[in-house]
Amino acid sequence: MNIDMSRFYQVFFDEASEHLAAMEGLLLDLDVESPDLEMLNAIFRAAHSIKGGAGTFGFTDMAQMTHVLETLLDRLRKQEMSPTTEMIDAFLQAGDVLRAQLAAHQDGIEYDDPRIAAIAARLERLAQLDADASAPASLPSHFNAEAAVWRIEFCPDVIELQSDSDLQTLADALAELGAFARLAPDQPDGCRWRLTTRFDQAAIIETFAFVCDPQQIRILPDEQTPAVALSDSQQVEDDAGFGFFDGAPGSERALAAGSQQQEDDDGFGFFDGAPGSEQALDQEHEGFGLFGGSPGMEQVAAVATQDRADSHQGYGFFSPAPSLSEQADDRAPPAASGTGDSGAPPPTAGVQRTSESVKRPAVTDSSIRVSVEKVDQLINLVGELVITHAMLAESASGLDPVVNERILSGLSNLERNSRDLQQAVMSIRMLPISFVFNRFPRVVRDTAATLGKKVNLRLVGEDTELDKGLIERLADPLNHLVRNSIDHGIELPERRRAAGKSETGEITLRASHRGGSVVVEVSDDGAGLNRDKLLAKAAQQGIPMPEHPSDKEVWQLIFAAGFSTAEKVTDISGRGVGMDVVRRNIDEMNGRVEIDSSPGRGTQITIRLPLTLAILDGLSVRMGEEIFILPLTAIQESIQPRAEQFKTVSGKGQLAEVNGDYLPLVVLHDIFQLGGERIRQEEGILVIVDTNEGRVALLVDELVAQHQVVIKSLETNYRRVEGISGATIMGDGRVAMILDVDALARLSRK
Amino acid sequence: MSEERKDGAAMIASGSREYLTFTLGAEEYGLDILKVQEIRGYDAVTKIANSPDFIKGVINMRGVIVPIIDLRLKFNLGQVEYNQFTVVIILNIAGRVVGVVVDGVSDVIALGRDQIRPAPEFGALLDTAYIDGLTTLDERMVIMVDIEKLMSSSEMGLIEQTQAGLA
Repeated sequence: MNIDMSRFYQVFFDEASEHLAAMEGLLLDLDVESPDLEMLNAIFRAAHSIKGGAGTFGFTDMAQMTHVLETLLDRLRKQEMSPTTEMIDAFLQAGDVLRAQLAAHQDGIEYDDPRIAAIAARLERLAQLDADASAPASLPSHFNAEAAVWRIEFCPDVIELQSDSDLQTLADALAELGAFARLAPDQPDGCRWRLTTRFDQAAIIETFAFVCDPQQIRILPDEQTPAVALSDSQQVEDDAGFGFFDGAPGSERALAAGSQQQEDDDGFGFFDGAPGSEQALDQEHEGFGLFGGSPGMEQVAAVATQDRADSHQGYGFFSPAPSLSEQADDRAPPAASGTGDSGAPPPTAGVQRTSESVKRPAVTDSSIRVSVEKVDQLINLVGELVITHAMLAESASGLDPVVNERILSGLSNLERNSRDLQQAVMSIRMLPISFVFNRFPRVVRDTAATLGKKVNLRLVGEDTELDKGLIERLADPLNHLVRNSIDHGIELPERRRAAGKSETGEITLRASHRGGSVVVEVSDDGAGLNRDKLLAKAAQQGIPMPEHPSDKEVWQLIFAAGFSTAEKVTDISGRGVGMDVVRRNIDEMNGRVEIDSSPGRGTQITIRLPLTLAILDGLSVRMGEEIFILPLTAIQESIQPRAEQFKTVSGKGQLAEVNGDYLPLVVLHDIFQLGGERIRQEEGILVIVDTNEGRVALLVDELVAQHQVVIKSLETNYRRVEGISGATIMGDGRVAMILDVDALARLSRK
Repeated sequence: MSEERKDGAAMIASGSREYLTFTLGAEEYGLDILKVQEIRGYDAVTKIANSPDFIKGVINMRGVIVPIIDLRLKFNLGQVEYNQFTVVIILNIAGRVVGVVVDGVSDVIALGRDQIRPAPEFGALLDTAYIDGLTTLDERMVIMVDIEKLMSSSEMGLIEQTQAGLA
């Protein structure tokens, strides 16, 4: 009988995705100029583990992909060749493919995408290239450093040429890309062409896409023919120039190699903040502008400066040359060139980096894998313990403290212990927010490259811990916010320069604990929100606004569904769906979003979240016999009303006048049809709550107390109830409902 | 029979399975004992707003919020004061925990499939679709309820409609 491997699939899926995440993190951190051997090894190990697992479980597609990846990585870690940004890009793409394959296997399907072959081919080609990936850094995308030889095979009958084109036009088009040759005379049943070009496969496919369906065409790297460089001057000998990893002496030779690319020796001075740098800039190849402001990854503008705790362990050597980097930026081509090119790293920078690079503490992994279910069960049980204690304490409160001294002191010990236990158990679910933050260097890098902007990402307070459930749900909203900031907030380099700002925009992700909640801020130093534009758009879309809206009210407009001020819809943003999703997601987590913006100086979006999904700060209110919990975040104030504050509007229900405002009055008795005795309105308490629908006055009988309550879902065993977001268990063991103020406001309007 | 095996029903050597019988007013009902998680006394419940009256509310059962249903109200058998004999049968149905208030639990009986006769079509409040069959026990008629089908039905409103299809 076969062992049922599928039982172990989940373990593989978990592990593989962890390895992938680790690999991506390491890749992004990897310094191309002076690669840390330990990091390369770690990347290799991650790839190797995935390959091993995939092979064991029979996921051959993943095994193949990782195999190619591994081949290249192996050469890197053996220092047979040095990493280039192109390789990093290819690795990242391979990681994406692996992730997609993994997801597909998880759903029990096979992932099939032409991308796989393309990336595998790219990796293979990179693995075969010699270590001389040094070529001009600024080439349009699709441009490879090396001319590659492609064999193109297809069948003219099958590819369905469009009527107005023929094989010759196709051949002409290809000839524009590079040296074109026919390997054999064209036959109706097969053509074999050879193309020597520095464009990559995608560019060739694009050419074909003009006239036919490119899927019918086989484009293969031609291994038999050695790569012929188009221009000899761009080929650098594969010499020991790469010795600069070892330290300064080697770098001289690297420098010499570099000089073949019109680099002036002086040019390297600018990293030291030396006066020679300006001169260097002038002489420099245009590509070198890219280095400015982004020492981590030269070819793209987006760099995550992992700025822990406000850069106290930052890379000090950025700071001496801020203005220089600005100047350097002037010359940078749009960051889109980041995909295909492989730059010649300035060796001195590499040396400096080696000496100053922050050693990451070796991660001592002494953790165990436990299912969330088990942890939740533990939390439930501890919750029960606390409740049981509360009940015991209540019954013991009537005892004579002198006679029963031992019982009472035992009870107080029990209380302390169970509280400690509760906290300890809760902390199991807590993870540092870096789990979400860590994906953003990649997001920023890619988004900024697509948009041709230069963006620096700063991460602050990654160690802030919050509930695992929240972390997972925070990822999407943050993704939207960051992409939005890059797309709408940060201006294009030219405009930033015109506004007197550094060309490289900065986005800061900052997390911190504030009181009982976690605050996550996404701020940029971009253009800020445009009040007039927002108001005009609101008027155009018929969104009602007060006569003199405050800034806050105007900023809130961006959260309205379908609201977008982007002039054109891009694949990054502009459809107006992002922000209202952000708002809804945050609301679901019992959080709040606030916006602060000043024109020309940037926008700051603050998300305030409870520490965990499982606990809510609430105010218990009584209505008749029942106790309800109001989330504290929603409450603005509570007042004892006078009879004359209650107004009625014919047919439109009731209003309450509070400090000059007329607020809709929500009477819980009516909405929940509680029955029982009603007290007079003026004997109750008005709680003013902030909802999606604006401020609302809730009429309750009595405020009871403030609690931290453990949220339980009603849906586990029942279904959703309108106006109720969940339930909790009170100290006496009874169940109390948690009110959903947004839904209540909606309900009261019906 | 194969279908029942899939249910995880207890197949005793003789091919019979066990049922828990309980009373509602003058009537006696039976349900598959494997669906029963536990039996407990009636506790004070917390009402759920805008729910049908046969849903009494929810209770806290060791940290789990469990809805409580009064089958007597559901079957329109009149209202009865809850007393110390009132029990709640906690059922585990389709991964969900539901409590059912009944007048009393009487017995656990083992019945062969052949001892359960199909229920005739008749105009009862309880749709015959939820009745597995009828059996006689000491000259008393016991109504075998397909409790899983009943609890996951849309008319109980226990499970959201989208999920009801899956259950």
